[in-house]
Amino acid sequence: MTNMDLFQTPRGQAIVLMAPALAVYSLFAIWPMIDVVILSFQDWNGIRENRDWVGLQNYHHILYNDPVFWVAFRNTVIWTILSVVFPPLLGLLLALGLNQRLIGRAPLRAIYYLPVIIAPIAVATMWRWMYDPFFGLFTQMLTDMGLSRWIVDWLGDKEVALYSIFVAYVWQSVGFSMVLFLAGLQSVDKSLIDAAHIDGANRREIFKHVTLPALRPTITIVLVLSTISSLKAFDIVYGMTGGGPAQSTQMLALWAFTQSMQIFDYGRGSAVSVVLLAITLVIVVPYMRWSQRREEEAR
Amino acid sequence: MKLKTIMYGSLAASLLSTAAVGAEDLKIWTINYTSDKQVSALTAAEAEFEKRNPDVDVQIVMRGTDEHKTALRVASGSDTGPDIYAYWAGLGLGGEYVQAGMSADLSKYYESYGWDDRLTVPSLAFSESFAEGKHGIPFRFSGEVVYYNKGLFEKAGIEGEPANYAELKEAAGKLKEAGIPAFTFGGTVNWHVMRLMDVILETTCGAEKHDALMAMESDWASEPCALEAFTEMKWWTDDHFLKPFMGIDNRQSTTLWFADRAAMMLEGDWHVPTIDENSEMSKYGMFPFPTGTGRLYGFAEYMYISTKSDHADLAAQFLDMFTSDEFQAEHIGAFGALSVNRNVKQGDDALELHKEWLDVFANAKGTFVNGDQAFPLDVTTEYFRIINELASGNLEPQAAADAMAQFIANR
Repeated sequence: MTNMDLFQTPRGQAIVLMAPALAVYSLFAIWPMIDVVILSFQDWNGIRENRDWVGLQNYHHILYNDPVFWVAFRNTVIWTILSVVFPPLLGLLLALGLNQRLIGRAPLRAIYYLPVIIAPIAVATMWRWMYDPFFGLFTQMLTDMGLSRWIVDWLGDKEVALYSIFVAYVWQSVGFSMVLFLAGLQSVDKSLIDAAHIDGANRREIFKHVTLPALRPTITIVLVLSTISSLKAFDIVYGMTGGGPAQSTQMLALWAFTQSMQIFDYGRGSAVSVVLLAITLVIVVPYMRWSQRREEEAR
Repeated sequence: MKLKTIMYGSLAASLLSTAAVGAEDLKIWTINYTSDKQVSALTAAEAEFEKRNPDVDVQIVMRGTDEHKTALRVASGSDTGPDIYAYWAGLGLGGEYVQAGMSADLSKYYESYGWDDRLTVPSLAFSESFAEGKHGIPFRFSGEVVYYNKGLFEKAGIEGEPANYAELKEAAGKLKEAGIPAFTFGGTVNWHVMRLMDVILETTCGAEKHDALMAMESDWASEPCALEAFTEMKWWTDDHFLKPFMGIDNRQSTTLWFADRAAMMLEGDWHVPTIDENSEMSKYGMFPFPTGTGRLYGFAEYMYISTKSDHADLAAQFLDMFTSDEFQAEHIGAFGALSVNRNVKQGDDALELHKEWLDVFANAKGTFVNGDQAFPLDVTTEYFRIINELASGNLEPQAAADAMAQFIANR
């Protein structure tokens, strides 16, 4: 078989089509990931020519001596749990509502989706102003309602700051889940719903036994995407508090960035990144395999 | 006709491109300055130097603070980068690059241009601190003092400016009785609240012990003055700050100060034009934080010549022009109350508080720098965290001192 013949086979064509993308992807995604893993075993400040091999020292430091790592870890876990519950749940409810025949359904869908297309840093700026403890929207509203005692330092009190950011995150991300669920709802077989009606099922039973099982692949996608995006939560936290007050809203992704790009300790920053990558893989891979198996069993 | 135009055009273009190839580029990296005066001074320097050296193309690249830091870090690992870079002069910032060999030794230029005789002594303090030889040239030296609202002081029955720390605390007590918070700070930018901690440390420890703590040569946990400083800091943050403060930044804090919501701010000489632009200069007074040591709290910004520059002589020529009597006189006040050039003084038309600043600089018995300039970056980050925890009431003074000591020990 000549070279020309090879390019005319489906496999040859696939290789030709994939090669440029694979080269770019390897250079700008795969290699940096490998380099981050290597860096996590080295000491480098970005200036020195040589990177010193330090073995597990960076991991030891972040796990045992870093006063912020475990705060960031705890916040990432809390954020992930909240992100997996609230935006998908609210997105599902919105999708169910907007799947009905309503007047103004299309504009409403657009309105709910609108925050998704706003840059996270712009969302952060908007909400930071709304949370201003002196002149912000919430402070003014509570003052006008005579509820001044409820005013707190939304982004300055470490007990509430993380949750204040999370509210902004929900506002921004709920439209994304909603759109996926709306797409999923289009795939629910209408004949099954009609059959259930004929069999005397009420709306709750139809939802539980027909709609929800049909939405299972969508739910899997939404949950996996929510988990991944929450584990790498960065921009909105960076924009609203920068990890403060007193590092109380630090997240693992932001702490990896801070260590590398602000403290310029690339070794420790990389170690945090590798831990985050490991956590992501530990959570996402088994879940995807489990849900894949369930889907195959259901066929 | 058309053909002729194209031919002449091509000829002109090729001549221009030949000239461009022959021209030398002088790349200068600096942070974005917010004041128009500062930007104008830099732009004027670019134009003036190009006028004096027609074959030179000066390119001043201004970036946001974090972007500037990152760009410089990336440049340090590559062969490209600036000929001159502006940076803060402390150990954790400019000092790190000096120690890493990224700053060229300028001793020969200091000698040939006579910079030692031209520049003020406090501003030169960092040029020999971090490596052999002389590194960088100061273009700005900033001091920080307490600015106060005269009307609010009067309302609280405070007569005169506090001459010592006890009097300052007494004044804070009177202000509290009158329902006026003593200080306003913005907590989101960690360095703002840090300033108070820095000056309290100078007050409780004195110059020598304070320097030893900042150099991490003294133990924060067992040094009584460090504990005392954290205790004093808590005294201020618990009852004498405009609250809430952790969720606002320095600019919001300044706005609140102009709205008479708090009596004092701890700000630099750059604050004088801000007052001039936003309020009545006569409403405010200033005094150095009464640390008792007489040292001025402040920091310097330097321009360094990169060791990777192929145009070191040209870069030195630019720095010489920038700090010259003529150029500094023309742009007096652009980078603070005091020029780094000892021959250049503010005129009679200077802003009222700028004139007071000249006395502050003249009477200073040495200097001490901001914590974020004194520490390496990782310690600065932890210093911020501990101060903020203490200021938020989540950490007791002893625990704060212990946390600081433990972090330094575990580095």
